[in-house]
Amino acid sequence: MTGADILKLRKKRGILAWSLVLALAPILIYFVVAVIQHASNPSQHGPAGGVQNFSDGMRVIALFFGPLAALLIGVEAGTGDASAGVFRDLVVTGRSRLALFATRVPAALAVTVAMMLCAYALLLIGTFAFASGLPTPSGTLILNGLGFTLLSTGILCVVGVGFASLTASKPAAIIAVIAWHIVASPILASIKSLGSSREVLLSQALAHFSPVHVGEGGHGATVVLSTGTAVLVLLAWAAVFLALGAWRTSTMDA
Amino acid sequence: MSSTINDPGPAVETTGLTKRFGSRAAIDSVDLQVPRGSAFGFLGPNGAGKTTMIRMLLGLTHASAGTMSVLGHPVPSERSEALARVGAIVEEPRFHPQLTGRENLRIVAAARGPETRERIAGALRRVGLSERADEKVKKYSLGMRQRLGVARCLLADPLLLILDEPTNGLDPGGIQEFREMIRAMVEQEGRTVFISSHLLDEVEKICDHAAIVDRGKILMQGAIAELAEGSAHHELIVGVDDPVRALDVLAASDSVLQAQRSDEGLRVVLGEVPGASDAESAAAVNAALVGAGLAVSRLEPVRQSLEKRFLEVTSRLSDSTTEEVLS
Repeated sequence: MTGADILKLRKKRGILAWSLVLALAPILIYFVVAVIQHASNPSQHGPAGGVQNFSDGMRVIALFFGPLAALLIGVEAGTGDASAGVFRDLVVTGRSRLALFATRVPAALAVTVAMMLCAYALLLIGTFAFASGLPTPSGTLILNGLGFTLLSTGILCVVGVGFASLTASKPAAIIAVIAWHIVASPILASIKSLGSSREVLLSQALAHFSPVHVGEGGHGATVVLSTGTAVLVLLAWAAVFLALGAWRTSTMDA
Repeated sequence: MSSTINDPGPAVETTGLTKRFGSRAAIDSVDLQVPRGSAFGFLGPNGAGKTTMIRMLLGLTHASAGTMSVLGHPVPSERSEALARVGAIVEEPRFHPQLTGRENLRIVAAARGPETRERIAGALRRVGLSERADEKVKKYSLGMRQRLGVARCLLADPLLLILDEPTNGLDPGGIQEFREMIRAMVEQEGRTVFISSHLLDEVEKICDHAAIVDRGKILMQGAIAELAEGSAHHELIVGVDDPVRALDVLAASDSVLQAQRSDEGLRVVLGEVPGASDAESAAAVNAALVGAGLAVSRLEPVRQSLEKRFLEVTSRLSDSTTEEVLS
């Protein structure tokens, strides 16, 4: 059944195109601009590749545009059947609703991972192609960066599937998650008076695993939290939204 | 345990089935029996509760009270087993528009199980969509989507098909093909087909059993012929050489409740004579006329249509009529 859900996502050309644009275009633009700057004024602007540009590019795909692309895919997976009006036709096959929900998650993750691998490959190509003698990232950093990118986008994808299944509304799910994750979370993380309660923020738990610096705290997070706490926070976010999505899928009138 | 065509018992059975939306009962204590191997019409005006009934049978919405079973399995407790051999179209058939007809069937086949995928080609062939199966569904007409919906039902190799207003969007040729397909499924393959419709003529032509539903209640159910006859008085069209004298003769007959002239001849409503069948009452009418020296050229029973019966018993005619039938 996961194959069927992947087929649905694969043939949703509009969503796929926008997700690809979000995943690839920023990296492409980043390198194009950096190459032009370096070519026009080498003394002011260094080569477009190398470790530093790799780190900047990874922040772009792992923390901002990649999650957006993953969110689009996750939300489409969560609402596709209901919005096309075919959810009831799947229910009348006798297949359990939980199973129908459960297959959305690996399908959305598969498409997201494929897309992020493309984006990451583009980042690596730029990093090495435009290094011009600058040090390039080590194998460990490359692997850590890939893991972080997939973790960051994967979690957002899963949250997107769960939340969209809960709301059964694409716009509501997209707007709410973007507003929370991209806008509200960084603001809340920066409010120091909130203290340790900021540890429950998904963005902070994710940033903990960043192999490159993204904030004030250890491991790149604005808020300092232990690895165990970060893992628990990530699992809790995924579990809560999956549970809500599964509950709604199981109980809604089809 | 899976169902087979030869299993005894009704294909669908409900007892006291009720669905409430707030204080309004969309389905009100319905007792329904759909015989196996029949084409069963679920007739009712718009808003009568037909789709709500189907949605409950398919586990798409919960019942407020009562029990139901599909192919011998109680629903919702054994919903998966019940629906394994059920194909259904609820309201208009919907599909992923970005996928082709064949891909849409693959999606459902994946949900039903790997063995189902082998039935896709046959199902498409049966509904006449083989040549256009690889076009995107967004290019399909409503009639084509209806046919694809039937193909989707066939993937289950269904013992029971539940079709909600299935001829919507079909052209006359398509309706005829559909009718023949349903009859073949029932007569040659022994499947049960449950058709919800407000099109009386369609149900009369396709189905052999029906229930008439209005305002969430079953008003009548049984074989189509019995429903059409119902409790209404039987009528005859009588052709005689002297209609005026014939009316006098008929007025004196115990077998006749009412007689009047019409364009076709005399329209005679037979009275209920204890111990006499309709045929015997008609013979008595003929004997009275012939005995009075009148030449009888025509003696034809008026066929009661389901439409007339439907209008008699549903609220469309009058509330008082409905109450009379219910009582």
